[in-house]
Amino acid sequence: MRAHPRRDELAFALLLVAFALLSLWQTLAIPVSPIYARVGPTVFPWVASVGLLVFSLVLLWQAWRGGFPGVDRQKAVDWRSLGWVGAGLAANAVLITTLGFVFAAVALFACTARGFGSRRPVRDALIGLGVGLAAFLGFARLLGVNMGAGILEGLL
Amino acid sequence: METLALLAGGFATALSAQNLLFAFAGCFLGTAVGVLPGIGPALTVALLLPITFKVPAASAFILFAGVYYGAMYGGSTTSILLNTPGESATIITALEGFQMAKQGRAGPALATAAIGSFVAGTIATVALTFFAPIVVELALKLGPAEYFSLMVIAFVAVSAVLGSSAVRGLTMLFLGLVFGIVGVDLQTGQPRFTFGLIELLDGIEVTIVAVGLFAVAETLHLASRHRYGEDQLLPLSGSLWLTREDFSRSWKAWLRGALIGFPFGAIPAGGAELPTFFSYYIERKLAGRPEEFGRGAIEGVAGPEAANNASAAGVLMPMLTLGLPTSVTAAIMLSAFQSYGIQPGPLLFQTQGDLVWSMIASLYIGNAMLLVLNLPLIGLWVRVLRIPRPQLYGGILVFATIGAYGVANSVIDLAVMYAVGLMGMLMKRYDFPVAPVVLGMILGPLAEQSFRQAMTISQGDVTTFVTRPISATFLALAAALVLAPPVLRAYAVSRARA
Amino acid sequence: MTIRRRTFFVATVAALASTQALAPRPTRAQQRFESIFMFIPAGPGGGWDSTGRAIEQAARAAGLVGSFQFENVGGAGGMVGLPRFVNQRRGQANALIVGGSVMVGAGITNKSPITIRDVVPIARLTEEAGVVVVPPNSPHRDWASLAAALRANPGSVSVGGGSAGGTDHIALGLILKALGRNPREASYVAFAGGGPAQAAILGGQVGAGISGYSEFAEQIKAGRMRALATTGAERIPGTDIPTLKELGLNVTAANWRGVFAAPGITPAQRQALIDLVTAVHATPQWKEILAQRAWTDAFLAGDAFAAFLSEDIAKTETVLKDLGLA
Repeated sequence: MRAHPRRDELAFALLLVAFALLSLWQTLAIPVSPIYARVGPTVFPWVASVGLLVFSLVLLWQAWRGGFPGVDRQKAVDWRSLGWVGAGLAANAVLITTLGFVFAAVALFACTARGFGSRRPVRDALIGLGVGLAAFLGFARLLGVNMGAGILEGLL
Repeated sequence: METLALLAGGFATALSAQNLLFAFAGCFLGTAVGVLPGIGPALTVALLLPITFKVPAASAFILFAGVYYGAMYGGSTTSILLNTPGESATIITALEGFQMAKQGRAGPALATAAIGSFVAGTIATVALTFFAPIVVELALKLGPAEYFSLMVIAFVAVSAVLGSSAVRGLTMLFLGLVFGIVGVDLQTGQPRFTFGLIELLDGIEVTIVAVGLFAVAETLHLASRHRYGEDQLLPLSGSLWLTREDFSRSWKAWLRGALIGFPFGAIPAGGAELPTFFSYYIERKLAGRPEEFGRGAIEGVAGPEAANNASAAGVLMPMLTLGLPTSVTAAIMLSAFQSYGIQPGPLLFQTQGDLVWSMIASLYIGNAMLLVLNLPLIGLWVRVLRIPRPQLYGGILVFATIGAYGVANSVIDLAVMYAVGLMGMLMKRYDFPVAPVVLGMILGPLAEQSFRQAMTISQGDVTTFVTRPISATFLALAAALVLAPPVLRAYAVSRARA
Repeated sequence: MTIRRRTFFVATVAALASTQALAPRPTRAQQRFESIFMFIPAGPGGGWDSTGRAIEQAARAAGLVGSFQFENVGGAGGMVGLPRFVNQRRGQANALIVGGSVMVGAGITNKSPITIRDVVPIARLTEEAGVVVVPPNSPHRDWASLAAALRANPGSVSVGGGSAGGTDHIALGLILKALGRNPREASYVAFAGGGPAQAAILGGQVGAGISGYSEFAEQIKAGRMRALATTGAERIPGTDIPTLKELGLNVTAANWRGVFAAPGITPAQRQALIDLVTAVHATPQWKEILAQRAWTDAFLAGDAFAAFLSEDIAKTETVLKDLGLA
């Protein structure tokens, strides 16, 4: 049964192949240890990397021959929703080291809610602030751990 | 009978008003942290350590034990409702539990998890009360060679979670093995797969990958399908409670789960994940309707949930009888003993009998408390599914951030979680199973290190795996599991022809 | 997540927090610092964390410091946290970081650009000697017998301990060097953490074990492990286990912990911190904590500590070179 290659499945299979190659490269980069060890540190990485490579090549071949067996036809992507959530995650990573966890949580919460169709950003931001503050204070007060304090350090 | 008298003494201490309060606080807190993805009992107990400066030892340990047991209860809740396991020991629960929730059967799934946890936790606590020293002596007979052979069985059992396509499942298993290699090699101290990043030297936390693959991936996947409405949970249907059929399918799974989970807690390479996954395998093999697995089979929730609670009790055995920590939480509890000037070790039962017995008594109380706490909560938990999606997923991502970033304060951890989440989204899109990645990550390092430890001890003699009787038995069992089905089938075919 | 769930979490947290607030307020003696920023390059619950929090406990009880602020950044033997401390706290006069032998070794094996040399030594506080043990059914009744076996063929005795390149492995390396062998010849079996290592020794899976004394103390007392020698300069109080020095092997190795200040502080600021830690060390509370935790007092401050540190770094480096890790 010869069918057309499916482009997005090919891309995913290629990603896995690339990952396997990365893993092989890192296996080769493991320093050789002079320590007395009957089985060195590279044996299992070889097994894992080669295994991953073999199976991802099979997947590549399957994708080329018409797609992974038993997988539904290509599904459309809601780029706008995904974009909002992605933006939230990115903002979270950037803000958490600068302004601190609480502000990062506000941005993440509001953006994610927007991505899932909420139209009330102010309310979402306030809920995010509540969640973030509660978690931050819980950690800082009870557990004595300052989680990504940022500009709040010393204030709370 | 002496044991019963000692246990009664323990109950007398544990039932004081103050200690009951601490047991309740522990169960409550444990359930709460169990629910939060990435925040587990080990971390919570570690962070509660300063409390040892302020309260008597018995109360502190009753609190810690409550947290430990409670987390196992709580972890299953989000696995079932949201497909985002709160603990690594409840990952397997998500496989069937979330499918049940999707069909509107979240109530029975939560109920079988809670009752199963209670049944198994209590059985395991009874076993702990009477047999701890014997089981621990047996566990010490297992060395690295035996652990490796046990891992071989585990790899056979992986077949139960490979999903609809063996190629996709195995690819994911190897991906998990690769994730497990990252970090400094225990045996030689060489960095592997670290790309020169100091943050990766300690390896990647399983919880971070699990939160990425489940919580972040689920959220991204649903976002990518938002406009097309692929977030259809069926409304709750039928009873929140177990039907007669549910019950009759669950109870054997609970008992089997308890039996599997308990000994695993006692061995130093067990962990609470391994028995859940063995239990799942066995339930699937024994099920009357194996075709239901993957589509919400209640045995697949009942067994693993029983197993993880039983193993939690199992972990306390070597800790109390020998001072051996077999889990991270146990290690931290041991350091709490030290802050009371108590040195946990083989003499603990003699020197601190009152304390140990009141702690054991508190386990019975905690278990009952957790059941009472959790059963009414089911009605409340299922309402989580009625929270508007925007706020629900916003909250999930914020809690996932806490889990990944909270304590280590590492942006690299956060980045790993995002990358894994993105990968997980693609995996969901193309119907790749998620569980093999996590299992590969857990089993891989265990198998590798035990293999190499065994080889160093035997000075390079591979036959150590078959000349040691217990190891040989495990390998034979693994072989039987692989070979028996085709052989039996061939036999049946030849009989039919004859 | 539900609002309800969140509030009950917070409520529990608050309820527990209030029990902490009930602790008796200390009477104010001469306060030396209004606040101290304490950086722990490890996760909560471990040795460094408990050292830092013990300092807080003693200093606040004695009224030496008004308040403490903690930051935990764990990973890679402190090498994840250390650069962060050095960069963010440069010149800050009230910042301390906890560290120790593990950090010395980790800096060398990881070839990290920022090491323990980049922070200012204030004081060594505690140390723990290592102990060499064998399972009770071992043919080696005493050190001489085990030493002979190791000298003849180091590979014939499997020795269990913590991760490769860690303090246990380094101590074994020093022993083998002193016996005239190369550390890399050892049949060293690394275990992840104290539990698995202890189990392997108790079950007789390995020929011998080496680790910090406290890891094995209870097993030794109960007769489930036979202690052959300790690696400290002196015998461990309350025990009759000979030191390697007594047994004629010139090896001392101990896992020490201490505190360091941020780079870029003035000599006067450094002195103020040394005085503070010296005062903490003199408090009765500190003595009490030491006794409770069975920590060995190894107080050494200022320049003497700095000299010890250089020597420790050099010693560690040679062993790790032999192991191919430096």
